[in-house]
Amino acid sequence: MKARVLAGADVLKIVDLLRREGREVIAPFCGRGRDTYFDIVTDANRADIQIHLPNPYYPPKRFVFPHIERLLKVRGNDGQFQIEPTYEEPRRALFGIRSCDVEGIWHLDRFYLGRDFRDIYYEKHRLNLFLVNIVCTDPARDIGDECFCVCSDTGPAARDHFDLQLMDLGGGEFMAVAGTPAGEALFADPIFRMGTAAHVERRRAILGEVRRQFKTTTSWFPATVRYVSEGRIPEKTWEEIGNRCLECGGCTYVCPACTCFTVSDRRVGPNETERVRIWDSCALGGFTRMAGGFNPRRAVHDRRNRRFFRKLAYYFIQRELSMACVGCGRCAAVCHGDVGMPSVVEMLRRASADVNPNEPVKD
Amino acid sequence: MNPSRTENVYLPKVAILDRVVEDIAEVRTFYWHFEDPAAQTEFKRFRPGQFAQVSLFGVGEFPASLPPSPAEPETFFTVRQVGSCTGALHRLKPHDRFAVRGPYGNGFPMEQYRGKNLVFVAGGIGLIPLRSCIVYAMNHCDHYRRIQIFHGAKTPEELMYLSSLRDWEKSGHAECHLTVDRACNGWGGHVGVVGSLFKKPGVSVPVEDTIAFVCGPPIMFRFVIRDLLAMGFEERNIVSTLERYMKCGVGKCGHCCIGTAYICVDGPVFTYEQIKKLGEDI
Ligand code: SF4
Ligand code: FES
Repeated sequence: MKARVLAGADVLKIVDLLRREGREVIAPFCGRGRDTYFDIVTDANRADIQIHLPNPYYPPKRFVFPHIERLLKVRGNDGQFQIEPTYEEPRRALFGIRSCDVEGIWHLDRFYLGRDFRDIYYEKHRLNLFLVNIVCTDPARDIGDECFCVCSDTGPAARDHFDLQLMDLGGGEFMAVAGTPAGEALFADPIFRMGTAAHVERRRAILGEVRRQFKTTTSWFPATVRYVSEGRIPEKTWEEIGNRCLECGGCTYVCPACTCFTVSDRRVGPNETERVRIWDSCALGGFTRMAGGFNPRRAVHDRRNRRFFRKLAYYFIQRELSMACVGCGRCAAVCHGDVGMPSVVEMLRRASADVNPNEPVKD
Repeated sequence: MNPSRTENVYLPKVAILDRVVEDIAEVRTFYWHFEDPAAQTEFKRFRPGQFAQVSLFGVGEFPASLPPSPAEPETFFTVRQVGSCTGALHRLKPHDRFAVRGPYGNGFPMEQYRGKNLVFVAGGIGLIPLRSCIVYAMNHCDHYRRIQIFHGAKTPEELMYLSSLRDWEKSGHAECHLTVDRACNGWGGHVGVVGSLFKKPGVSVPVEDTIAFVCGPPIMFRFVIRDLLAMGFEERNIVSTLERYMKCGVGKCGHCCIGTAYICVDGPVFTYEQIKKLGEDI
């Protein structure tokens, strides 16, 4: 990967370069209070783009997998039907996406474009999507209380899967790393200059320091993955977790790596219907209910078990070669019952310490 | 990214309903064909045990097993009316249009079963997904040894595909044994659960080199499995096909996932050995 250095004052010029390429650029802005959001960059708001700010709850996965997306339009006349697929093929750049979310999109790539069937709707959103990752370096603004990317090994600096990565080196300088040829092509612009060994050293030192600033650390991912995969978690622990779940579905809607959807038909005109897909949540009771009412997964703890099994079992990590948890901490931040990923990992490890006599750690 | 053209796996093709046959209460067989003959030819490559997604415009989509064998001239679904989509299918008249995509799923590895005895055990409408394998086996009867069909229902009126069962029996390639839980309307046959047929005088079920296909409601499934295991069947020689609330059929929507399996792509056909490990109600 090639790297360059640029002045802090020139960082937003990257947005201009991307817009000049004919892309719609989405970038982070600061609302009132802690509220931050991604929005389309216009001439009017371009100067308000923020580099350091808390990652918003609403994950950027919606730019590749919108929460409601039309798949087909069906027109019927005199008993004849025309089915027409409807595609969106934006030419877009996401500026300022955090490392955890870069990894989230990578996971979605593996899931929707891998295995037996490729998802053409996802592919069309993804093909022309340019990712400008910003490394989280400011402990006060970038790193949330619930961020745990150091434990899922996805941040604070993504190692791959971005087109361009920017990192604030302090002193009015940024380092840019190109992850793809498209990213490298931007280096032709005169805002980028060669870096020195001292820049590389500063990057290393900053990352070393930032990694020590995380408040949520659960170093138990590997052990938990093993316990979950081997079915060694006692049923009663799942029940405890289930009892704390309010079944709001929040964790799945804010998750940058959750993939489930439901499909629904709706009438849009006298002779026209459309088929849409909508984000769905395995936390909700109706998720597995079949026509006729039989529901194989009845209790709430079955559903919690399901979600964490899907995210933590070896089998799925191997299948996608990427884990469906990227350490963004959103589930922990939105969960009323405190059963987001970090606390669940912790509960699972304590529970297995109870039942496994050889487990050395328990406190 | 993969340079080859990506097909739209969610795009169904228009199908035309030819005729409807009443099977038992609330269950009908819908004979249909694709509007586009090329789609019909392509679809006919399905394997026994696969399924299709059936679209009713403006209502939705549901998964339906494919009861015909690929060699049969007509394509059809046998569907019980349970929800809004199946209800909408039941309201269609001949020449009405709907849409189908598929086939999906792994299907039964019928080739792999060459040289074996085949025992089909079906409770109620569990015979629907097994019909395809039965017809396939009858058409290739020289590939298999004994073929036995055990079918049970609550009442004589609820036995599925009765006329086909008689034809299969008459052909001399299969033994058919029927039973009902409650006899009525002059039923002179066996009374009892399906498993009781295995011990009926004059019936002998081979265990060595035998594949048992089991399909039916959850309770029936559990008891039949218990009986088969007691008779000495190995778990990997018992196969079934699972049903789930399948929204996409292509491994993406997540609705059909149990344990480590996506029923729509890794199944719907599983051996009992696999089913046991999935860890959820069947
Ligand atoms: S989880 Fe890591 S990469 Fe994501 S916002 Fe927090 S610090 Fe940044
Ligand atoms: S039916 Fe959608 S994943 Fe299986």
